[in-house]
Amino acid sequence: MTDPVQFMSHHTAVEYSLPEPSRLGVHFAVQLGRGKIIGHRCPQCAKVYVPPRGYCPLCVVETTDADEVSIADRGTITTFSVITPLQYPGQQETEDYVQATLLLDGSDTTLMVTGLEGIAIADVRTGLRVEAVWAPDGERGAAAVGVRGMGLGDAVKGWRPTGEPDLPREQLAEHVL
Amino acid sequence: MTRDVAIVAFAQAPLDQAPGQTETLMLLPTITDALNTVGLTRRDVDFTCSGSADYLTGGTFTFVQMLEAAGAWPPISESHVEMDGAWALYEAWVRLQHGDVDVALVFSSGRASASASLRETLTFQLDPYYLAPIGADYVSLAALQGQAVLERTGRTDKDLAQIVVQRRHDAIANPHAAVSGDVSVDELLRNDYVVEPLRTHDVGPAVDGAAAVVLVAGERARQICDRPAWIAGLDHRVDPHYPGVRDLAQSKSAALAAARAGVGNGGVEVAELCAVCTPEELVLTEALGLGDAVTINPSGGALVANPVMVTGLVRIGEAFRQVHDHGRQRVLGHASSGPCLQQNLVCVLEARD
Repeated sequence: MTDPVQFMSHHTAVEYSLPEPSRLGVHFAVQLGRGKIIGHRCPQCAKVYVPPRGYCPLCVVETTDADEVSIADRGTITTFSVITPLQYPGQQETEDYVQATLLLDGSDTTLMVTGLEGIAIADVRTGLRVEAVWAPDGERGAAAVGVRGMGLGDAVKGWRPTGEPDLPREQLAEHVL
Repeated sequence: MTRDVAIVAFAQAPLDQAPGQTETLMLLPTITDALNTVGLTRRDVDFTCSGSADYLTGGTFTFVQMLEAAGAWPPISESHVEMDGAWALYEAWVRLQHGDVDVALVFSSGRASASASLRETLTFQLDPYYLAPIGADYVSLAALQGQAVLERTGRTDKDLAQIVVQRRHDAIANPHAAVSGDVSVDELLRNDYVVEPLRTHDVGPAVDGAAAVVLVAGERARQICDRPAWIAGLDHRVDPHYPGVRDLAQSKSAALAAARAGVGNGGVEVAELCAVCTPEELVLTEALGLGDAVTINPSGGALVANPVMVTGLVRIGEAFRQVHDHGRQRVLGHASSGPCLQQNLVCVLEARD
């Protein structure tokens, strides 16, 4: 008489193919490689999207190369979290660090960034002005730009304070996320 | 007593999409096309319902991104089904029955190409205890059904190939067909088996796709559309969860849905069937009571293109075209979900003077 089966292990995996990068995604990455950040300005509402998505989700119209604009490599921290990394297998971080939401000058959308340099965690604040610390020319890996087009890949190593006066919080209310 | 609701517009994304095209950008012009044909804008839409599958896309809550194609600001009233868009159409039809709103937008999308193996990915639709662990994929299960159908009906692989010959011929005029053209039964029978008794031609080619349908209730449908296709009957039923307890050669759920949708009350001239594999077409023709006079799948059906999560909605859209563009009086659009026609939806559309 054997015991009835009460537990069964079922290990499973689903594999996906990364989509081929879109023409717009490749263009954005090539420009990053040259140290340039570009966006698309909606022809209807004039909001600027970085990275460009090829459409404006508010007006629901497609945007094209004709709507391309250059974006500054400096901006303002609109909100942030201090992350205390729990240790688990595979965890790379050991020290507290800041993950911030960054509004680049000339953009209406924000980027999630880490790698704040030259400032103590306790001094990070909403309204803080920062500028990009670019990876050296030739090391700005275009391929690292996420397939969902949500970041700047490894073209920018981090962000450091510019020393400019902070922006008032009221100006950032629409851009906390 | 149900409220009169009609399909007034249908649009489908082109098969040929730019590399790396997102589902949102496949949907955006498709939804615009559908609304434009009846002079509506996104602001005119009272309720939106979409269909897609996160397992297919490979991310959680991916339908939220796709909603941007519908225009979700200012906030809209919307819902989503983790199913083929035909079930989103059902929910939209139910919503319009409430009587307080008149215009509904239905859309769905799917990228079959995202999966390294679509057959493996779709096993996650199955019950996780008995079927998923043995990796019973949809083609293997369809082959079991095919064997049961051939045994029960005495038909052969030649009969299955004959279906494909007809569908591919009919699909010559369909720009959304992934495969079309004139072939012979003998040529087809030289194709390899995918899973016996199904050869490569017996399984509709899975493709990326997107489609949109506009539903409008009451007199407004007549005002904006010269020949709306009125929903005369709409029902969906599901067979038992486990394929092992069903007679796979028949479909009780399809027969029940057809009866409740009133297919028998006046018959239909055309039926667009969501048969992804050839034996399914034989099962459905019998279950839905479709006689020889009924034209089956004039678009070529799912055997010439299977945009996963969109295929069923496309069948209803093609049925709409039969009424709107081709002057038919009463037609049927069918959708199925799950392995071996597990769940079936039947939509009867008719022209009204």
